[in-house]
Amino acid sequence: MAERTGPITALQLIARILEKSGAPNRSQTIDHVSAGDPTTPITGIATMAIASLECLKRAAAGGRNLILAYDPAFWSGNDSFDHLEGDSLFLEKRDFIRAHNLVCFNWHDHWRDRVPDGMATGMAAALGWASYQVAGNASLFRLPQTTLLDLARDLQTRLNDPTIRVVGDPKLAVRNVAALWGTAAQMPAIQLLNTPIDVLVTGYAREWEAVEYAQDMIAAGEKKGLILLGEAASVDLGMKYCAEWIATFVDEVPVEFVPSRPVYWGIG
Amino acid sequence: MPGRTFSRRAVLASGTSAAMAVATPIISPAFGQTKALTAADVLARMRVNIGTEWREGGVDRFIAGSADMPVRGIATTMMATFDALKAAAAQNLNLVITHEPTYWSHQDRLDQLQDDPLYKKKLAFIQAHGLIVYHFHDHWHAKRPVDGINDGMARKMGWTGYRDTTNGRQYNLPATTLAGLMRSFQSRLKDRTLRAVGDPALAVRKVVTSWGFSSNFPGITFLKGDADVLVVGEAQDWDLVAYAQDLAGAGRKKGLVLLGHVLSEQWGMDACADWLAQLVKEVPVRFLPLIEPYWNPSRPVFEINTRI
Repeated sequence: MAERTGPITALQLIARILEKSGAPNRSQTIDHVSAGDPTTPITGIATMAIASLECLKRAAAGGRNLILAYDPAFWSGNDSFDHLEGDSLFLEKRDFIRAHNLVCFNWHDHWRDRVPDGMATGMAAALGWASYQVAGNASLFRLPQTTLLDLARDLQTRLNDPTIRVVGDPKLAVRNVAALWGTAAQMPAIQLLNTPIDVLVTGYAREWEAVEYAQDMIAAGEKKGLILLGEAASVDLGMKYCAEWIATFVDEVPVEFVPSRPVYWGIG
Repeated sequence: MPGRTFSRRAVLASGTSAAMAVATPIISPAFGQTKALTAADVLARMRVNIGTEWREGGVDRFIAGSADMPVRGIATTMMATFDALKAAAAQNLNLVITHEPTYWSHQDRLDQLQDDPLYKKKLAFIQAHGLIVYHFHDHWHAKRPVDGINDGMARKMGWTGYRDTTNGRQYNLPATTLAGLMRSFQSRLKDRTLRAVGDPALAVRKVVTSWGFSSNFPGITFLKGDADVLVVGEAQDWDLVAYAQDLAGAGRKKGLVLLGHVLSEQWGMDACADWLAQLVKEVPVRFLPLIEPYWNPSRPVFEINTRI
């Protein structure tokens, strides 16, 4: 019997992306289809930092219906639907996803497990830091001499990040930078701050954990800095790279990156 | 309020021997000697006056020093940062009552820090200055009739007259906008790096507060209620913040303000110093304000004291 050809489905594309990542299957993971029917025929792929309603609308408007998002659609780390029964925003988002035949896939753990780490590779490329990468570590960089303030300004500009926040002496001399794209848990953040780095760059760290630790290190006389970009700003361009990477092995449908707009605004 | 102070002392006098020290402060009549106030004495008075049941099992406990150590002075602070400890030691306030942790986790876990150089330095400083550190988080929030943090923040914002009569977290303010609300936080709290989600022109009257960290629940429930704006200190970008972002994306008239954790709660520890000063007359009680942890490239500053 001749092989049936037809439109490619979400499941077929997800299987191919997982296979190409080379990341072993995790037994516990948040990477799953959180909304939509996996057998849906796909007309385009959209990658994004978080499956926000606004980004889903832009993806649907461009005819992309397989969504690969680093952070999930339903407002919890594990895309839990607990407490959301009858929630009008939940219903609106679900109905939008249904009406546009979207399939939302959380693309978080296995993107990081890819060798090398897909997110770290993409962020380094976007910042022009790839050539400064310390051998064997996708998240450690030896930059041309700068200061904490100039590094923060540079990140603010390149990442379109109006509400970037910085701990430490603006004049701190900076060469060695470690990055934890996304979120910095207490560990490894504390361990990293104790290595010979000048600055730790991350998306989010708890104020009573790594932020307090960085402040205390500085108060104890250590020359350290900490930069908090915000989660989306710290992963967005890594998802741009993700679209470019997928396009190298998917030619049936277009692959597009949907950039996040700044999540927050501040006042000068 | 001397009457209240007196009645508190009457309650205390019927309690433990520690409480007797309040009723008969400092002088021990039997021996004519001064009896030093201990941390245990202070804690006993706090327990009796918190207005609610004292529960075990939370994070409130002695983190450094011990209950039997004499108290020369009391410092309240939002977070027992190294700088806060330096300030306490410099002012001879050796009992530090802190709302947030000393050792960089909610539970002040030490299992992974035994060889940590900063842990050793901070501990050595605490010991060298005879400091006692008490983590006072859960019970200060449980304070009745009003959460002590909520009370102090409302006072700092000038909002005590606006508190909703049925929901103590909610404030019914004179009409403003989200941008106007942000400016009032910025000026009252000296907050350089506060952030908001939602339309700056959003009409605001009802504000619900969750000072400190807010998880997705109850944060989402607060956002869905009557209030125009939810104000928190800190929240995660992929849960509560994402919900607020989607509310805005769906055109709903809601806003979220993130003040930063320390700045969103620390005046609650100013209120704590006022409360303790009513309970403890033997030694000075002072609130130690903290710096804002962050700066933005548009306003770089360096405020951390790097001298030990």
